[in-house]
Amino acid sequence: MISIQRRSGSSLRWNVVCFSAAILCAFLSSAALLALSGGDAVKGFSALFTGAFGSQNALFGSLAKATPLLLVGLGTVIAFRAKIWNIGQEGQVLAGAMMAYWASLMVGSLPYWVALTVIALAGLLGGGILGLLAGYLKTRFGTNEVISTVMLNYIVIFFLAYLLDGGPWMETGVTVAYHQSPPVNPSLEWPDLFARGAGKLHIGFLFALAASAFCAILIDRTSLGYDIRAFGSNPTALRFRGTNVRRLLLVVMLLSGALAGLAGAGELFGTAHRLRAETLLGIGSSGIVVAMVGGLRPSGVMLAALFFGALKSGAIYMRLQSGTPAGLVSAMEGLVLLFFLCAVVATKFQIVRSNVHA
Amino acid sequence: MLELMQGPLLISILAAMVRIATPLLFSAMGELVTQRAGIWNISVEGTMLLGAVVAYVVASTTGSPWLALLVAVLACALISLIMSFVTIVLKAEQFVAGLALNLLASGLTLFWFQTYVIGREPPKFAGFEQVDIPFLSDIPILGPVLFSQRALTYVSFLLPPLVWFFLYRTRYGLEVRCVGENPKALDVKGLGVGRRQCLAIMFGSLMSGLGGAFLMLGYSDRFVPDLIAGRGWLVVVAIIAGNWMPFRIVGAIFIFALLEAVGIHAQVVGVAIPHHVFLVLPYVASLALLAGLRSRTHQPVALGIPYSRE
Repeated sequence: MISIQRRSGSSLRWNVVCFSAAILCAFLSSAALLALSGGDAVKGFSALFTGAFGSQNALFGSLAKATPLLLVGLGTVIAFRAKIWNIGQEGQVLAGAMMAYWASLMVGSLPYWVALTVIALAGLLGGGILGLLAGYLKTRFGTNEVISTVMLNYIVIFFLAYLLDGGPWMETGVTVAYHQSPPVNPSLEWPDLFARGAGKLHIGFLFALAASAFCAILIDRTSLGYDIRAFGSNPTALRFRGTNVRRLLLVVMLLSGALAGLAGAGELFGTAHRLRAETLLGIGSSGIVVAMVGGLRPSGVMLAALFFGALKSGAIYMRLQSGTPAGLVSAMEGLVLLFFLCAVVATKFQIVRSNVHA
Repeated sequence: MLELMQGPLLISILAAMVRIATPLLFSAMGELVTQRAGIWNISVEGTMLLGAVVAYVVASTTGSPWLALLVAVLACALISLIMSFVTIVLKAEQFVAGLALNLLASGLTLFWFQTYVIGREPPKFAGFEQVDIPFLSDIPILGPVLFSQRALTYVSFLLPPLVWFFLYRTRYGLEVRCVGENPKALDVKGLGVGRRQCLAIMFGSLMSGLGGAFLMLGYSDRFVPDLIAGRGWLVVVAIIAGNWMPFRIVGAIFIFALLEAVGIHAQVVGVAIPHHVFLVLPYVASLALLAGLRSRTHQPVALGIPYSRE
C-alpha cells in the first residue's frame, strides 16, 4: 500500500530528489521545445554547456552574467523572506544604473577610487529610493506593493526612454538614433579583476560576493534578520511585540531596491559602458527567478545565480554554434520556476509504503 | 495642447480610446471574475501575449481571423489549467505562479519569435475589418467614435453588463463571489470550491486570450514580442482602481485608454510635451488612484489565500 502523506519535518535527501527532478523536467521540456522547432537538442545543449564552462574565458563570462542576477536575487530574498512582494526589480535595476550614470557625469575630477565608490553608492541609492517609494506607498496608503512596484517599473522605463530619446542623455552627433547614451567616461569604467586576456570579470563580482555574505549574516545572525523572518511568518505577533513594523517594511524595501540598483550600476560600468534599456531589461525578472529557485536563502541564491548566469552566457555561444535562438534560455527560466514551484510543494509530502491495508 | 481639442482630431482621439479600451475590457472582465473567486491571477500579461501569438500563427497560416480568435481563446483556456493546478491543487503562492506563467509566456514567445519570425518576410494576413453599424455610424461625432469599430468592440460593450448580471443576479455568480469571500461556507454546503475557482480561472484566462488576440488581429499587421506592452498589468490595476466592481472598472479602463490615445496623437501632431509623458500617465494616475483609495471595501476577503479544508 503506497500513500502520500504530509511530511512533518524536511528531509535533505528528499529535497535533493525533488529539486533535481524539477531541473531535469525543465531541461527535458526545453529539449522537447528545441526538437519541436527542428533544432538539435544534444548539439544545442552541449554548445550551451561549452559556452558556459568550456574555458576560463567562458567561466568568467558566466560569472559576469551571474553577478547582477546574484545582487538582484539577494535583494529579492530580503523582501520575499518578509513576504513583502517587491517585484519592482526591473525598475530598481534601471534606477540604479540611471543614478550611477548621473553621478558619473559629475565625478570626473575626483580621484579614481573615490569616483568609483561614489558611482557604486549612487547605484545603491537609485534602486533604494525606488524601493523606498513603494515601501512608503504601502506604509502610508496601504498600496499593494505588487501593483505599485510594477507601476514604478513602467514609470522608470518611460522616464529612461524619454532621457535617451530626445531627452538630455540622448547620444548626439550620430546618424542613427539607437536610444542610448554616449559611452561612459572610459576612465570611470569598473576595473576587471584579472589581467587582459584572462576573461572579463569586473569588480562588481566582488561586490556581489560581499553582498551575499552581508545577506547571509543579516538574515540568520542579526535581530533585523529575525524581524524580517518574523514579519514573513506572523506580522501580527511582531506588532504585538512592539516592533516598529512600518520602519521594518521601509528598511526591507530600501535594502531590496538598493541591491538591485547596484546590479544596474555594475552592468552599466562593468560590461555595457553605455546606458541603454535593452541591456538592462530582463535582469530584474531573472533575479526574481534566481531568488525563488535559490529557496530564498543566500547560499541557494549564489548557486541559482551561477546556474542562470551560465545559461545566459552559454546562450550566446549556443546561438553561434548551433543556431539555437537565445530566447530558449528565457523560456527555460519560466519552466524552471514553474517546476520549482511544484517541487517546493512536493518537498512537503512523503511517499509512505506500508504493509497494512486500509 | 489646444490643437488636440479640434474637431477631427478630437474624434480621432475618442475613436482611438474606444479601440484601445476594447482588449482591456475583455481581459478585465475575465480577470474580475477570477479575482472575485479569490484567485489573484497576475498572469494576465502573459496570457494576453499567448493569445496574440496563437492568433498570429493561426491567422497567418489559415488566413481566417475568426478561426484564429477561436484557437487563441481555446489555447488560453487550456493553459489556464496550469494555473489551476498550481494554485488550487498544489496551493502554491498565487502571485509567484502568475509570475512564472508571465515569464514562461514571454520566454516562449521570444524563442518562437527568434526561431520562426525574425529575419523572414512577415506573412500577410487579414485581420478584422471595420464594421459600420447602419444609421448609427452616421451620427456626427458619436458615430465614428462608437459605431465605426471592429465587430468585437461592440461585443466588448455588452460584456460588462453581462458580467455584472452573472456576478450579481445568478446563483452561480453568487457562489463564485462566495468563494472569494468565504470559501468555507460554500464547502460546508457541499459545493465544490476548487471547481468554481478552476472555472473562474479558465474564464479569466480565455477572456485575456481574447483580449490579446484582438490586439493582434484588430489593428496590427505584424507581430512584435512586446505587443502587449504592459496592458495586462493595466488590467490588474483597473480592477483595483475600480474596486472590484464591473462598471467602475470600465470607467478606469476608459480613462487609461483616453490617456494613451492622447499620447499617440500628441506624438503625431508634435505637441511641445514629450509623448512619453502621456504614455507614462496611466501608470502615474493609477498609482495616485491606488494611494487615494484607502478603504477598499469590495476587495474579496479571501483573495490570494489558498483554500484548504483542514
